Amino acid sequence: MEIKAEVRQFIAENVLLGVHQTTIEDATPLITGGLIDSIGMIGFVAFLESRFAVEFMPREIDVHSLDTVERIEELIRKKLADRDAGVAAGDGQQIR
Amino acid sequence: MPGPESELLCDWLRHTAAAAPDAPAIVEENRVTSFCELFEQAAWLAVRFVEHGIRKQDRIALVLPKTTEAVVSVFASLLAGAIYVPIHPQWPKERIETTLADSGARLVIEGENFPPRITDRQTGTSIPWQPVPAALAGVDSLPRADAGDPAFILFTSGSTGQPKGVVLSHRAVSAFVKWSAREFQVCSSDRIACPSPLSFDLSTFDIFNMALCGATCVLVPGHVMWMPRFLVRFVREARITCWYSVPSILAGMLQEGRLAEHEYPGLRVILFAGEVFPGPNVAQLQAAVPQAVCANLYGPTETNVVTWCRVPRDFDGSRPLPIGHPCPYATVTVEASSGQLLVGGDSLMSGYWNRPEETQRAFVSLEGKPYYRTGDRVSLAPDGHYLFLGRLDRQVKRRGFRIELGEVEAALVRQEGILEAAAVAAEDGKMGTAITAFVRARSAGAVTFVEAKAHCARTLPLYMLPDRIVFLDTIPKGSRGKIDYVALGRIAEGLNHGDQG
Repeated sequence: MEIKAEVRQFIAENVLLGVHQTTIEDATPLITGGLIDSIGMIGFVAFLESRFAVEFMPREIDVHSLDTVERIEELIRKKLADRDAGVAAGDGQQIR
Repeated sequence: MPGPESELLCDWLRHTAAAAPDAPAIVEENRVTSFCELFEQAAWLAVRFVEHGIRKQDRIALVLPKTTEAVVSVFASLLAGAIYVPIHPQWPKERIETTLADSGARLVIEGENFPPRITDRQTGTSIPWQPVPAALAGVDSLPRADAGDPAFILFTSGSTGQPKGVVLSHRAVSAFVKWSAREFQVCSSDRIACPSPLSFDLSTFDIFNMALCGATCVLVPGHVMWMPRFLVRFVREARITCWYSVPSILAGMLQEGRLAEHEYPGLRVILFAGEVFPGPNVAQLQAAVPQAVCANLYGPTETNVVTWCRVPRDFDGSRPLPIGHPCPYATVTVEASSGQLLVGGDSLMSGYWNRPEETQRAFVSLEGKPYYRTGDRVSLAPDGHYLFLGRLDRQVKRRGFRIELGEVEAALVRQEGILEAAAVAAEDGKMGTAITAFVRARSAGAVTFVEAKAHCARTLPLYMLPDRIVFLDTIPKGSRGKIDYVALGRIAEGLNHGDQG
């Protein structure tokens, strides 16, 4: 699964409203660079969870861990590895 | 000792701390601060301020997230007779500096971590934060503000490119808080949550109803704000009884947060303000929490809430919810020539900080009394409810925040390589209001979208940044050389509806 490409595509289509994908580099700061604001983050986090079938816990994500495409990929890969290894996430409670 | 009849916001805390010292005033995750502790900490700090040389009406800037310490700082400033200036710590550095300079704040209280730092901006000296104050002395000799004196200054978007400070007096804030306490029957068993930062006028509801009514102010943890399902869980687990936020947050809780899948037996009041909440969402919200009184509160920062509308039980969402009828302390009228809503009464701002000319322009005198020109076009329905129709100027509301499009344009043209900019706002089905900026650059490829947006982010808060930047060779203009915003608005609407140009 090409995590970076999917994340880029989502941001381009939903956050940047159709700006060409290549303008988002691996290290382009998305939050501290002003591309996504706090309400925009709600939709973005929801996308990451549903597309990659992961569930974040509140303290797992912050401005740092979601600021660039490469850090997002790192976080998703870690979540997927934890899930496959059966590690309970965060404070252990899964809520719906 | 003055009690709830007083119009001084800090008197309420002192009274409640004496009447119910051990009751919980603030809950911040696992930490509970009682009224006695809150008052003693605030009073101790107020005495330190006065010892330091702070006088009545001096400004104290609070560059703090909404924490227990921030609420202590609010009441400490007021108890010292000073004016607090709340500044969102996530604003860009430049904007924070401009606001500190404009407000002429003597002290700044800041820091993401405990304890906050208190620094004198003139001398560079500091006042230590004392978590558990020792003996409390000197409280009775603290200076007392008059009810007409400013209590705080809220900085909001200015059309000329600089934020402007709205000065609100104790009396103006008291009018809203006392009415809301009465109308929504706020009492000591209430647990109030309001996710808005202190720099936003919605925050007058939770912190001052706490002081007035002895209710508990439950602070919303910052780390759940991006995940509505945890925000929903917070409302449930923290047993919130009164909620007040912008509609965008409630919309997130309804959709991503699946608010309707749970029950909230204690939740009895849900208030929203700051922007238009689409009718279907309002109906969904009322259906999801059927026992709660849901109400739309309306009013610009300059007047706080002045009209309100309770959601009817049978509201089906097929038409927009009105902004309602006037609060008892407000007198409202519609300017015949423009349809603009004019607002008078006790909740009016004192004026814009250090801007006498803009203050003068903001008011009109009717029968010898000042009325604030809201710039909002309204109509009066036969049932006595006002309906919001739109703006007279180029101000837009987005996620509850006010944005002057002129400020967005000013930020863009400050960038090297951008010669001209024109910003318009248009509805976008997905995101609410989207801002499109049209830009004429020095040369093709001189500036990219990401560069321009990052540049804006140095001076503008995130909610003000343009969603889309369209590079044009020429900006369309009318015969008199004025930018044709109508034509640009049509292009932006086309882009919002799928035509990616």
